[in-house]
Amino acid sequence: MSILGLGYSPWSPIFWLLAFVVVTIMAYFFRRRGQKKYKKDTAQTKVFLCGEEVPEAKQRHIRAHNVYWGFFETMKEYYEANMKTHTGIINDYIIWFLVLIAISAIILFIVGIV
Amino acid sequence: MVVASLAFVEFLVIILARDIYLNGLHIYTLGASSPNLAIPEHYMVPVRIILEVDAMSIFMAIITATVSLAAAIYSLAFMKEETGQSRFYTLLLLLVAGMFGMELTGDLFNLFVFLEIASIAGAALTAFRTRLADTAEGGFKYIVVSSVAALMVLFATGILYAQYNLLNMGALAHVMQYTMLDKMALVLLVIAFMMKLAGVPLHMWCPDTYSVAPASITIMLIVASYACLYALFRTCFTLYGVGADMVTVGWIVIVIGILTMFVGVTMAVFQTDIKRLMAYHCISQTGYMLLGIGVGLAVLNRPEALNTYGIAAMDGGIFHIINNALYKGLLFLTAGALFHRTSTRDLNKMGGLAHKMKWTTVFYIIGALSISGIPPSNGFASKLLIYESVYRFNPILAIVAMITSILTLASFTKAFYSAFMGAELPEYQEVKEVPKTMIAGMAILAAGIIFFSLFPGLVVDHLAHPAAAALISREAYINGIMGGGG
Repeated sequence: MSILGLGYSPWSPIFWLLAFVVVTIMAYFFRRRGQKKYKKDTAQTKVFLCGEEVPEAKQRHIRAHNVYWGFFETMKEYYEANMKTHTGIINDYIIWFLVLIAISAIILFIVGIV
Repeated sequence: MVVASLAFVEFLVIILARDIYLNGLHIYTLGASSPNLAIPEHYMVPVRIILEVDAMSIFMAIITATVSLAAAIYSLAFMKEETGQSRFYTLLLLLVAGMFGMELTGDLFNLFVFLEIASIAGAALTAFRTRLADTAEGGFKYIVVSSVAALMVLFATGILYAQYNLLNMGALAHVMQYTMLDKMALVLLVIAFMMKLAGVPLHMWCPDTYSVAPASITIMLIVASYACLYALFRTCFTLYGVGADMVTVGWIVIVIGILTMFVGVTMAVFQTDIKRLMAYHCISQTGYMLLGIGVGLAVLNRPEALNTYGIAAMDGGIFHIINNALYKGLLFLTAGALFHRTSTRDLNKMGGLAHKMKWTTVFYIIGALSISGIPPSNGFASKLLIYESVYRFNPILAIVAMITSILTLASFTKAFYSAFMGAELPEYQEVKEVPKTMIAGMAILAAGIIFFSLFPGLVVDHLAHPAAAALISREAYINGIMGGGG
C-alpha cells in the first residue's frame, strides 16, 4: 500500500521515514556531545549583530520584497517582459484566447490529426 | 445543514466509487423507464440526457465532494461576519452541483449547461464580499472569461451536433469522422477548457480572481477548474481518442503545460500578496498535470511507449490532480486564516505569526512541503511519477519540471519566512489562532495529505490508475451507451 512502483525503482515513504528517524537519532547523539556550558536565560541567548545594539522586531524583520533580491535583479529583463503581458485588462485576456485558438487551429490544420 | 448535506454527498460518492471500482462503468438515463436504457425503443441513438460515470469521473467526484466539505466547514467561521449567509450557502451548493454535473454527465450540451452553472455561481461567490475592494473586479473577470470559454464550448457542441445530430459523448465518439469541422471543434474545446483551467497564456484572470475570493471559495474554484481539466481529458481521450493521431494535440498540451509550469512559478516567486502567490502556484501545478496527460496523449497510438511510460505519466498527472486539490486547498485556507486575523494579504506587512497561530503554521508547513515535492509527501510521489515517465519521453521536459519544483520550494520558503518567521511584531500582539471550525476545515485536507503521503501506492493503484485506464479505454465508454449500459 505504501510502495509506489516506478520504472527504475520503487518509492516507499515508510522506508524514507525510517531513514529519517535514524538520521535524527544520530544528529541528536552528536548534539549531545557538544558544548555543555550553555546557560539558558543569559546573554548567550541574545541576538548578536556585529556587536551592535539589536534593533526592534519591526526593524530587523526582512520584508518579503527584499527576499531573493539578487534573483530578481538577475532576471530583471525576463520579469519586465513578463509584467508587460500581465496588464490586468480583460480585453487583453480575450485577445490571448483568440490568438491561441488561431495558432492551435493553424498547427492542427497544417500537421493534421488524421 | 449545508455541512451535513455535503457530508452525505461525500458518503454517497464513496459508495458509488466502490461500486464503480468493483462493477465498472455506470449510466443513468434521465426520464427513461429504466436508468440503464440509454437508447429508447425504435431509436438507433441516445436522445435523453445520460449521466455516465466511470473511474475517471468518480475520481473527480471524490475530489469535489471532499474539498467542498472542507470548504463548507471552513466557511462556518470564516464567513460568519458576512451578511446574506443563506445566499452564500445557496450559491456554494449551486457551485457544487455545477462541478458534479460536469464530472458525471455523458452529454456534451449538458456539460456546457453545468459549466455555465458553475461559472455563474463561482463569479457570484468571488464577488460576494462586496465590502472589500477588488472583489467585484475579480468576479467580473471570472464571469467574462468563463462566459467566453463556455460560448466556445457551445459553438463546438453546435458544430458536432450539426454534423452528427448527436450530443451524447459516447455516441459522438462512436460516429466521429474526424472532418475539418471536427478539428475546429477540437481546437475550440481544448482552448476553451485551457482558458478555464488557466493554462499559460490564458492564465491572467486566475490571480485576479483567486486572490480576492473568500479562501473557502478559492479552493472550490480550483476544483471547478479541475472539472474543466476533466472535460479536456474527456474531449481528447474519449470524444476524439485513438481514432485520431493525437501526437499534435499531445504536443500542444505539453507545450502549454511546460509554459504554464514555468511562467506560473516564476511569477509566483515574485509576488508579495500571499493569495496571488498561491494563485500563480495553482497555475504552475496545473502545468504538471497537463504535462503528464500530454505525454499520455502524444503516445496514445504507440502501444509500446504507452505501456512503458505513457500510462505512468498519466497516473502521475491524475495523482497530481488530487494531491494539488488537497495541498493547494490547504494552503489557500491558511492564507485565508492569515487574512482573517491580520486583515491583510500583503506579505510585506506580516511577520512572526507562528508565535500566535501555531495550528495555521503547522498546516502551512504540511501544505508547503507537499506542493514543493519534498519527500515523503504525496506531492513528491506524484511529481516523481511524472519526472520518471516524462524523462523517458523527453528529458528536457523533465528537467524543466524539476526546476519548477525548486522554484516552488523557494517561493513557499519566502512566504513562510515573511509571514510566520521572525520576532513577534507589535501590530500583531493581539492576534490569536483562528476558530475551531476553520482549523477543522484545514485539518480535513491536512489529514488527506498525510494519508496520501504514507500510502501513495494505494492511491495510485486504486484511484489514479483506474482513472487513467478509464480514459484510455474509449471503447468501454462508448459501449456504456451504444452497448446498452452497465
